[in-house]
Amino acid sequence: MNQNEIIKKIENEFNIDKKDIKKIDSKQFKAFIKNSQIIDFLTYLKNIGFWQLSLITAVDWVDDNKFEIVYNLVSWELEQNILVKTDISRKNPKITSVINIWPAAKYYEWDVNEYFGIDFIGNPNNGKELFLENWDGPPPMRKDFDPLKYSKNKFPEKDYKNFKMKKQSEVIE
Amino acid sequence: MKEVKLFHGPNHPGMHGNFSVHLTVDGDTVKKAKPNPGMLHRGFEKLMERRLWLNNIALIPRVCVPEPDLNEAVYSMAVEKIQNLEIPERAKYIRVLMMELARISVHMMSIGGIGGPTGVYTAPNWALADRDLILDIFEKITGHRVYHMYIVPGGVRQDIDEKTFRFIENTIRDIEKRLKDYKEIIFESPIIHKRLKGTAPLTKEQALNWGVTGPGLRSTGEKYDVRKQFPYFVYDKLDFDIPVADKSDAFTRLYLKYLEVKQSIKIIKQVINKIPKGKVRLKLTGTALKWKIKKGEAYGKVESSRGEFGYYVVSDGGRSPYRVQVRGASYPQGLYGIEAGLPETRLEDVAIWLDTMGVCAPEIDR
Repeated sequence: MNQNEIIKKIENEFNIDKKDIKKIDSKQFKAFIKNSQIIDFLTYLKNIGFWQLSLITAVDWVDDNKFEIVYNLVSWELEQNILVKTDISRKNPKITSVINIWPAAKYYEWDVNEYFGIDFIGNPNNGKELFLENWDGPPPMRKDFDPLKYSKNKFPEKDYKNFKMKKQSEVIE
Repeated sequence: MKEVKLFHGPNHPGMHGNFSVHLTVDGDTVKKAKPNPGMLHRGFEKLMERRLWLNNIALIPRVCVPEPDLNEAVYSMAVEKIQNLEIPERAKYIRVLMMELARISVHMMSIGGIGGPTGVYTAPNWALADRDLILDIFEKITGHRVYHMYIVPGGVRQDIDEKTFRFIENTIRDIEKRLKDYKEIIFESPIIHKRLKGTAPLTKEQALNWGVTGPGLRSTGEKYDVRKQFPYFVYDKLDFDIPVADKSDAFTRLYLKYLEVKQSIKIIKQVINKIPKGKVRLKLTGTALKWKIKKGEAYGKVESSRGEFGYYVVSDGGRSPYRVQVRGASYPQGLYGIEAGLPETRLEDVAIWLDTMGVCAPEIDR
């Protein structure tokens, strides 16, 4: 099956609009889906051959006031990659977890949860710390998080009044 | 018996990099394991959003320390996909050459590295000496030994001349001659046989459920390699085999790496014979520091020494990437694999499990 046939099959069997599926290159295409349908769509894709979950990640479109969750699935038999994308609102971001479909998704979702503050309903690790130990700021990968401002507040600049550079002769001694 | 909590790493001779595992042990048997990453987190993904497209080339080799060329190659691949750019044929061959040299150097390190947790201390010294010869090649080509910053979107930085090709050929032949010594000292050593055979088994179901790729998956009998299924650069024009084993334990996983070194040498010889003449770099758009990449997104992936390694790059049409996500090759086995796979192994096998599954701390933390 080549890429066009696969796209046509998905369009027919899952009733997706033609403009929601786009090619990226000969081995890769992307599909956009409403977030209420995401579990059905991912289960369907797993059944037609896209059974390897390669990556779950998020993109923060701060100007459009939304998060985009991206699921990267691979089919080894069809030799195709699909990026499944869905939008969730930036206020109170929530989406259903896929750990029942792919158990290994636990850590990908945990990662996104920690960096973006998105809750995955059903994942036991929401809100726990994985990479960022003792982190007290907002989720760091969000676009409205300013690392410079955060570090200036967290680690205020000190004045070293009694600090004096040593003379070169002293250093050599 | 009472259960005891143990910290395995970061300061442990059997641990690679700043990574630790919290173990709950009952006697010598591991009952529960929890990965504890984050000690090497440097915020690369956030940093990349603030830098220009070309500036990132100097930053990303640090994502995976032992195998830095992959990062440049995979980032460039994703950018070229967004920009719809086909790079020159010669540049593709040179990229393959760099990636296979990197594969040899990192496999050398892990084949010899098994001497650490098992106690065959001659092996790491030999292997590191041979790895150094590969670093000499890198120095000849790029001017740097470890981080090369050589592969850029649009091709590679500079051409390789005929003299350097002869140097590469000689060095590769030299290493090939010595490969049988590794077989004698490692794979025919009674210590290694006793320690590794049957240690740290992995079933096919486990590997597929966790999402493990690379030698870990191939040792269970599944013949999956990104180079064959999703050929990038010129791998579809080169002749090489994918070694597989039927039963996965620490020994077979290590032996597969040894066989892969032989395949890499075969690929490099073909590249040197087949490489066409021509340009090595195409102009992407205008001056390098003013690049504006088209709006769009792409996922580039290659086969690393530990499995599928990918970058997901999103561009909003600006001068720097909007979002970059690194998909480390050891992400599945390094996080979920530890939690699901380590229980019921013995305490002394934990280091061997981590070593042969290829857990690379920097690419998990990013």
